[in-house]
Amino acid sequence: MYALIDVHKRYGLRTVALRKLNLEIRHREFFVLYGPAGAGKSTILNLIAGLTKPTSGDISRDGVSIAHLPPERRGAAMAFENYALYSHLSVAENLAFPLRAAGLDRSEIESRVKRIASVLGIPHVLDRRPGFLSGGQRQRVALGRAIIRPADIYLLDEPIGHLDAKLRHRMRAELKALAVEMNATVVFTTTSSKEALALGDRVGILNSGRLEQVGTPAELYNSPANTFVASFVGDPPMSFLSVTARRSSDGVKLYNGDGQAIASAPFDVLGRTALKAGLRSNAIQLVDAQTSGALKGSVQVVEHLGHSNIAVIAAGGDSIQVSLPADRRLKPGEPVGMIIDPRQIHLFADERALVGEHV
Amino acid sequence: MLRRKSSWPVEVLRYGTILLVILFFFFPIFWMVLTSFKPESAIMVSPPQFFFTPTLDNYAHALVDKNFLFYVKNTLIISVISTLIVVAFGSLAAYSFARFNVGDGHILFFILSTKMMPAIAVILPYFLIFRDLGKTAIGKSLHLGLDQHGALIVSYVMFNLPFAIWLLVSFFQDIPRELEHSARLDGLSRLQVLRKVTFPLAAPGIAVTAVFTLIFCWNEFLFAYILTRKAASTVTVGVESFFTLQGILWGPVAAAATIAVAPMLVFVLVMQRYMVRGLTFGAVRG
Repeated sequence: MYALIDVHKRYGLRTVALRKLNLEIRHREFFVLYGPAGAGKSTILNLIAGLTKPTSGDISRDGVSIAHLPPERRGAAMAFENYALYSHLSVAENLAFPLRAAGLDRSEIESRVKRIASVLGIPHVLDRRPGFLSGGQRQRVALGRAIIRPADIYLLDEPIGHLDAKLRHRMRAELKALAVEMNATVVFTTTSSKEALALGDRVGILNSGRLEQVGTPAELYNSPANTFVASFVGDPPMSFLSVTARRSSDGVKLYNGDGQAIASAPFDVLGRTALKAGLRSNAIQLVDAQTSGALKGSVQVVEHLGHSNIAVIAAGGDSIQVSLPADRRLKPGEPVGMIIDPRQIHLFADERALVGEHV
Repeated sequence: MLRRKSSWPVEVLRYGTILLVILFFFFPIFWMVLTSFKPESAIMVSPPQFFFTPTLDNYAHALVDKNFLFYVKNTLIISVISTLIVVAFGSLAAYSFARFNVGDGHILFFILSTKMMPAIAVILPYFLIFRDLGKTAIGKSLHLGLDQHGALIVSYVMFNLPFAIWLLVSFFQDIPRELEHSARLDGLSRLQVLRKVTFPLAAPGIAVTAVFTLIFCWNEFLFAYILTRKAASTVTVGVESFFTLQGILWGPVAAAATIAVAPMLVFVLVMQRYMVRGLTFGAVRG
């Protein structure tokens, strides 16, 4: 188990990369670090690998501090975002490099290189130099060089981030299968919500150097800790409505900026200010504009996804994304009504999630 | 690189132009080599002669009478040793500037600024320093006195090191840090990383620097002229001795110049292989 304890990392005097970060990577788990560019994902990998030192805080392996150890004694293997292939060496020599450094004998090196090349589907390019490979092939070589030798932890920095959509999808499945087969501890960084949810046993969501939430994909999707996590997990992202809670004739209700009631409050939030209601696109049922009790709005845009459509609907100064069956036709400007399931409302105050009985 | 096949008039024009440019730049060398084989009667005539009975008299004069190979030997010793020192220290210094930003750019600029002073401004101090240095014990053991190889080697290192460092810094900066990081994770020490990853990748830059430095040392005249008399004189000074009271011996001068240029031509041709750009192409994404 690797752990970062109260890690603070500054570059120069002003740039803060990580703030008081606490993180545990469990044995044999596939851990995904997910966040926007510049959130500090690569910094965490570099800290674990020993390529940079924390400004303050500690890094430990199985309870023993490793913060003072040089990279070669951290037990980590890493694939870099920009590949970092040795351009003066052939693909085979690139793959063999870690094994040569470890002092394996030649026949063992050769058989391992062949095996990894066939796993990654690149046996026909072994004699070429990296400069003559396609982007996808280079990324495979970079990945291969990281996983060719046994390591306590594999650090993969956006290893499939720059592939085209089709190859990316295939590599995602291959990578997950490979990790399971190797019984490996993996830390994987990505900027894609889909990749994070699909690959991670657990996912850590990082935002400007702060770990916003760590959990299984289901936990993150179903109970996001704050609006940042909520807006980052899931596709389409969660829609947010600014609401106020007021008592009405039949209990406490939530009202939007127009003063329209959107739904009953799922739990008592009277007196809370800066309230936001978060809605997943499938928590909303679209009905006729005249339906009583429905939230009224008008269609802005319809996005076609093939298997379904996403309608963006304006209501009370908010934009709400709603999933539609593919055969449901809507025109921009058309008035519609929305019925919102109160049990599926996520409530946030000051961007933090409020937890009620229904959760 | 792949190029679209052009129609034949375009090809003719292209190769015609290339031929013209080559003729223009190679003519002086061609004329020098031609002159070196001419009998004296064919040299200073008008119109110039392209056809004549070739003779080796000029080479005999340069090699036997003037013992020109002695100058070639001096030049070879001084240039090669200077270049080796410049490349060895230059690449280490450049690496530290490029990777660790030593001196925050100020030291690097200071080093380059030493090149801004015209060489002739310091020739007198150099002369006096080496004259006195030659009398000390350490100066004697390192041949640092006037008309000794060590003095010229030290001078040439002084002149070339700043430029070499400046040139090499950009080559080292182009090598992605991740390549070194990756090798470190694979268990190599810092020095092993330098030997197995960084320097092989910087090879084209080091080759370019070596070529520039060697050519400078080979062609240098002013310091060689002032700091040597006979024992450590180089080819440039040697050629000058053909300008006699009886007149300029054009034939032997051409022969000597041909001998002086030949090793450099061979060297540059050999190094060309390493100077090809794009060896680092494909290391990282992009």
